[in-house]
Amino acid sequence: MKKRLYLELENCIGCRSCLAACTQCGGHEERNRNYVYDVNPLLNRQTMPLMCLHCVNPACARSCPAQAIQIHETGAVLSALVEKCIGCQNCTIACPYGIPKFDTEQNLMYKCDLCIDRSKDGIPPMCASVCPTNTLQWLTDDEIEAKQKQFNLDNGKWVTSLPYLEGETNVKVNLPGILQGVTKLF
Amino acid sequence: MQRDNYKNERDKYFKEIENLNHPNETLVKTHCSYCAMQCGMNLRVNTKTNKIIGVEPRYDWPVTLGKMCPKGVTAYQQVNHKDRLLKPLIRDDQSLKGTKNGFREASWDEAYELIVKRFTDLQKNYGKDSVSVYSGVSMTNEKCYLTGKFARVALQTRYIDYNGRFCMASAAGGLNRSLGIDRGSTIPWTDVHETDCIFLAGSNTADCHPTMMFRVWGIQERGGYVIVADPRETPVARRADLHLDLKPGTDLALANGIVNLLIQNGYADEEFVKNHTNGFEETKELVKEFTPEYTSEITGVAPEKIIRAAELYGKAPNAIVMFARGIEQQIKGVDNVSAYTNMALVTGKIGRAKSGVATITGQGNGQGGREHGQKADALPGYRKIANPDHVKYVSKVWGIEPEEMPKEGVSAFEMFGLMEQKTIRALYLLCSNPAVSAPDQNYVREQMKNLDFMVCVDFFLSESAEFADVVLPTTTWAEDEGTTTNVEGRIIKINRAQMPLGESKPDWQIQIEIAERLGRGKYFSHLKTSKDVFNELRVASKGGTADYYGVTWEKIDKQDGVFWPCKDESDPGTPHLFLDKKFNHPDGKAKILALPDRPSAEVPDEKYPLHLTTGRVVYHYLSGNQTRRIQFLRDMCPEPFVEVHPETAEKYSIEHEEYVRLYTRRGEATYKVKITEAIRKDTVFVPYHWGHEKSINLLTIGALDPYSRMPEFKTCAAQIEKMKTRAVQ
Repeated sequence: MKKRLYLELENCIGCRSCLAACTQCGGHEERNRNYVYDVNPLLNRQTMPLMCLHCVNPACARSCPAQAIQIHETGAVLSALVEKCIGCQNCTIACPYGIPKFDTEQNLMYKCDLCIDRSKDGIPPMCASVCPTNTLQWLTDDEIEAKQKQFNLDNGKWVTSLPYLEGETNVKVNLPGILQGVTKLF
Repeated sequence: MQRDNYKNERDKYFKEIENLNHPNETLVKTHCSYCAMQCGMNLRVNTKTNKIIGVEPRYDWPVTLGKMCPKGVTAYQQVNHKDRLLKPLIRDDQSLKGTKNGFREASWDEAYELIVKRFTDLQKNYGKDSVSVYSGVSMTNEKCYLTGKFARVALQTRYIDYNGRFCMASAAGGLNRSLGIDRGSTIPWTDVHETDCIFLAGSNTADCHPTMMFRVWGIQERGGYVIVADPRETPVARRADLHLDLKPGTDLALANGIVNLLIQNGYADEEFVKNHTNGFEETKELVKEFTPEYTSEITGVAPEKIIRAAELYGKAPNAIVMFARGIEQQIKGVDNVSAYTNMALVTGKIGRAKSGVATITGQGNGQGGREHGQKADALPGYRKIANPDHVKYVSKVWGIEPEEMPKEGVSAFEMFGLMEQKTIRALYLLCSNPAVSAPDQNYVREQMKNLDFMVCVDFFLSESAEFADVVLPTTTWAEDEGTTTNVEGRIIKINRAQMPLGESKPDWQIQIEIAERLGRGKYFSHLKTSKDVFNELRVASKGGTADYYGVTWEKIDKQDGVFWPCKDESDPGTPHLFLDKKFNHPDGKAKILALPDRPSAEVPDEKYPLHLTTGRVVYHYLSGNQTRRIQFLRDMCPEPFVEVHPETAEKYSIEHEEYVRLYTRRGEATYKVKITEAIRKDTVFVPYHWGHEKSINLLTIGALDPYSRMPEFKTCAAQIEKMKTRAVQ
């Protein structure tokens, strides 16, 4: 069954294990491809990962004049093809989330490919495999729907999810606030 | 006895996932080298070079399900690291002690010869006890066990102790006193997410034991409560239902205050108290004084928060009290452990699934390493050297006469005092780095420098190795096999993924070879493999409190670990303690203890107005000798810092990322300021993973808990000073 990356931002503790694990993926040349931000470091320890959301109609690929950014049949938006990327960096500007990174030495864009060598066979990407807090999870659509129900506040909205920013994404995100819908045991 | 229905059942987080197998690679299942979570992992080994080249999650390990923190993900990078020691090193020029300089490579024979000559000469002139052993628990049970035997039988010295004195000694003392047994957790970790309320005292869980966080959050997801007592708003405190932001060093008052409210408000389980505990009435009397207001005065926690904490813990059908170094590294650490354990004993929330008490063990084998005789007062199986029957049993296993068994020694920090007095003249140091981890570093380094002779066994040249005459290269965890006992008390198997690098050898082999050269081979030479050592440990622990006799490597493999006690081959082990409500004191009852409050060794005053507290960051492990060499971890956290509240910073006119001088009565150091509201205004925090001039332990105090002999790392009095401007330079 098809699985997706699902993010529950409220759980993040800022350990950056996802970034360490990203470097371990066979195809990643030991470079991490995502981000973890300190939300307001002078105030508290809140952190959040910023992962590629693998847009259904990705701005990065649309902006690429060389068709270097391919979309895998699983929906994963792949890293730039070495032989096609011309290093124009259009994608880094086009992406509304600022995901693609650029290697100036290689003149090459690189980004999250959802560990395609793993996820094409249903194996969770490294980040979601190791995440100690379940901020990053690898779920079926049914499981994501169950999450949606769990966090439903009876107002027709999945309380913590925002409308799409740029367009529909393959990765589903749950913003901080997941505990709002939880009924306390006592 | 009530049957424990616990099987390694696949809990709700378990998923059947196949591992990715790269071509020309094989996966070796094992566990992490670092903390006591002992996360399951697979090491990726290249089948052509037979070298470890990476890590792959171990999804089917029931405790951690493939999860790893950033240290775990990068742990394999230690093994073939460029800094590995590949040959023995000897330093002939003693005047270079305390520096990295003057070492030359030597053969094992030459190194052994020198060690044996110097140890023998010193022991001839100054007695057997002039040679000491200082060990650690970041290594297998086999090594920890053999180190105790090596000290007592090969070196014949009474002076052996270990770095658990900086880590688990207070928890051990408190649990022994309250429950009669020191197994760090009364429950398996797979119970954690199923409890209704967790009370975390002095545990920065998110930074120190990240891979249990999904279970902690799981409690809240089910509608349960998370309560955190910590001077800092750590990531787990940030999301907790209740954060008790106490002053460092005031846990005893807080625990007494909560126990008082539990009793006053009818949450005590009278049946349980009557049938299974002693000491309730005395404790009830003593804690009466600790009203919310009085407790608030001492701890700085608002009275309504204390009332709410007692209410939540009291109401919860099931609840777990967990604590860690925050409450233990104090001069009243043992009392703190017992005082928080009182919460469970008064309410009867112990001795059943999903309820209990646990210390969150620090080092990888912090549990097993304190059970098998490398502690000054202990022999294998949690036996005591002061008990003639225990000495008799272990002597028989070892083949010595009971009279030959050395007497009880002194604790780790006290060994430096004996070095100062020249009672101890030589040191065999392994698996530890006291030149970073011990308190009052100026004093400790001076004593190490003045030793007549020092051997350091490590796989990197640590700060402590800089004081050695001989450095012996040992293996990393992935080049040897054996067992560790994790945070739950579950004995697990570490597997070898690569042959030892260079000429490095596992500690057990080094000790056997030295023993043979000391003429004590007949007690050691039969041990050819680490499995032989384990099988001797099984016999040596048999009948003791920590009974491993029924544990075999095969059983560990078959049932995903074995919880001790495990008395014979048919015994599956003991995941939950006290299901029959029998505690390990002779009368079968637990002790509720009346514990009067007392101040910390050093409290802030006019000259030193701030509390200094120390701890960890998620990217580094203990003294940092391993993690500071790993690129990713170094990139994430390259240097120590001092956390300061913005109001405090304003008072001292210091700014974010400015360097300041921090000092106490014992020492000073310079740190970059990290301004954050996530700390009390009267407290500053510095992580302790760095050595030399960056070590916060230059400032900490060597005051010890009277029972556990654990130093008070968690609080002392300090002052900040703005640095002089550049123009002055």
